[in-house]
Amino acid sequence: MILKTFNLCKKYSHKDGMVDALKNICLEVSEGDFATITGSSGSGKTTLLLSLAGLIKPTSGQILLKGFDLTTASDNKLSELRKNHIGFVMQSFALIPYLTAIENVMLPLAIHNLKNSVCYSKAYALLELVGLENRKFHLPKELSAGQQQRVAIARALINEPSIILADEPTGNLDPSLAEDILNLLRSINKEKKITILMVTHSLLAAEFGNLKIKLSNGELINNFESNNALK
Amino acid sequence: MNLRKLVWLEFKQHKSQLISGLLAITLGIAVIVGIRSIAVVSEKAVAINLDNLGANILVLPQASNVDNYYTADIDAPTLPEAYIDRIVSSDLQGVDNLSPKLTRRIKINNKNIVLTGILPKNEITSKPLWQQSGLLGKELITSCASTNNANKSNGYEDEKLKRKVVDSLGTNECLIGATIAKELKLSEKKNIEILGGKFNVSRVLNETGTVDDDRIFIHLHRAQELLNIPGQVSAIEIMGCCNAISEGLLGKLRNILPDTQVTTIGQIVSTQIQTNRMMNKVSLIFLIIIIFVGGISIGNFMWANINERRKEFGMLRMIGFNKATIYKMILVKAFVLGIIGGIIGYIIGTFAGLWLGPELAGLSVKPIPILFVVSLVISISVSIVGSLIPSYLAGRIDPFNNMQEE
Repeated sequence: MILKTFNLCKKYSHKDGMVDALKNICLEVSEGDFATITGSSGSGKTTLLLSLAGLIKPTSGQILLKGFDLTTASDNKLSELRKNHIGFVMQSFALIPYLTAIENVMLPLAIHNLKNSVCYSKAYALLELVGLENRKFHLPKELSAGQQQRVAIARALINEPSIILADEPTGNLDPSLAEDILNLLRSINKEKKITILMVTHSLLAAEFGNLKIKLSNGELINNFESNNALK
Repeated sequence: MNLRKLVWLEFKQHKSQLISGLLAITLGIAVIVGIRSIAVVSEKAVAINLDNLGANILVLPQASNVDNYYTADIDAPTLPEAYIDRIVSSDLQGVDNLSPKLTRRIKINNKNIVLTGILPKNEITSKPLWQQSGLLGKELITSCASTNNANKSNGYEDEKLKRKVVDSLGTNECLIGATIAKELKLSEKKNIEILGGKFNVSRVLNETGTVDDDRIFIHLHRAQELLNIPGQVSAIEIMGCCNAISEGLLGKLRNILPDTQVTTIGQIVSTQIQTNRMMNKVSLIFLIIIIFVGGISIGNFMWANINERRKEFGMLRMIGFNKATIYKMILVKAFVLGIIGGIIGYIIGTFAGLWLGPELAGLSVKPIPILFVVSLVISISVSIVGSLIPSYLAGRIDPFNNMQEE
């Protein structure tokens, strides 16, 4: 089991009172799963993803990532965990505009104390994997949206993560590009055995997952027991 | 890829921001370096001149500016040369020697030169430094013994003879200060044209570290003729016996030269020292200003830069950069900014000093290497201190909020 949550709750304060963003979420994701989280807007999908990444502290409950309790970890420990075990793919690509494609891919290694030649060869190999080796010196603005997302995926892979957290990775892409990206994520999941947890609005995208998590008003519609049944 | 490269790439991306961020600190450093360069040379000049100047009384026209002894005669109003006769004929006790001068700024080959007309033997006798440089053999005794003993030691039997002005510099000869000789590439026996007159360089003077290094000396009467100021001088230097000065020589001179300023070097040097002190105070004020304004300016620049890059910092936090790494990124950038600001400020300040030193203080300013180190230390410190709060705030940027904006 790579990821496990117990009674995960997140409340936000609001002028009208407390808002329950997540209510008693219990789920399990095994190594090698391609899990999708779906739900309507405001259902708590992104809050769940960010909690699982240690980027926001839950109000109560527990999150175990590779057996490590995120809810009690210090900020430095959480950074260390993200640095070594998590890759991120965002809807907005989140590439640095003044870095070339290969520099963007190498970026997470800036805090890994590796030789530049090692960083470069790893980044080049990943650009080859996503089919952009001939665009390595292009700036993000010189790449199409689909190409930018491929660079972002290559960046998410460079620290050889145990899990990739993807927040609407196809949200800014047209359907054909979206399918390409989803196929790429699936092939990474199958060939590199990297667990993927993907938040999506798209039911089509959700079909790419072997584990489907549905949220509604911060609650899990299918709890992890039933998820296991779905696998 | 490492943090330094990341900082460097970001620098390249925001060149114009970099320039505006550096402006305050660079200018501040430049002002400090410029003032200090002039002040240090001025302090040295005071010390050297106190040691070496023989003449200890200066007679100047009433309207002259006596802020700086060494340049008081330059472009000063004039007084009649005939005042020398008035002093000589006054039978004053304790006047060992007289040295009238006429000084004006001129240009030769587009270089600013100070041209001084002298009656040479007096000038030479009144300046021990020149004697040491071997210009003239006669040994000077600046007596503080009784007037009679001083007269004997100077080898004069006749009181009036002692006061005579001796003219030994030919009207077509000139003496060249060491700095000017280098700049104009002149050596002994070479010819030079000054204000249309032909002159032969009779000697290049040894470097003295004073304003004399920037002067060309010609015969007083030739200077009066070329400058079209006949019968006038800018100043009269007098070697007065110390005892005579304390016994009221200055007052007696003022009585016979009522429309002049008669002052001692001590008084003027004291004014110069006060000016130097004022320059040091101005440096200190600028140092305080630069610490505040430069620090705030750098801090403001850093914060604007961080705000513009909020998403970037959010993303960096998301992919595993901890707060300490973010602080380090900002402070490395501040360090580099400090180095650049210090270097540019030092260069600008030094050039300003080299240019303004001769213009404002009549002094040849040279670069002071230790100020380079001081500039770097100040600039780096101000830059880092100014960036502490922005770096702290950058570390607190929430990663997820920024990633959700689009």
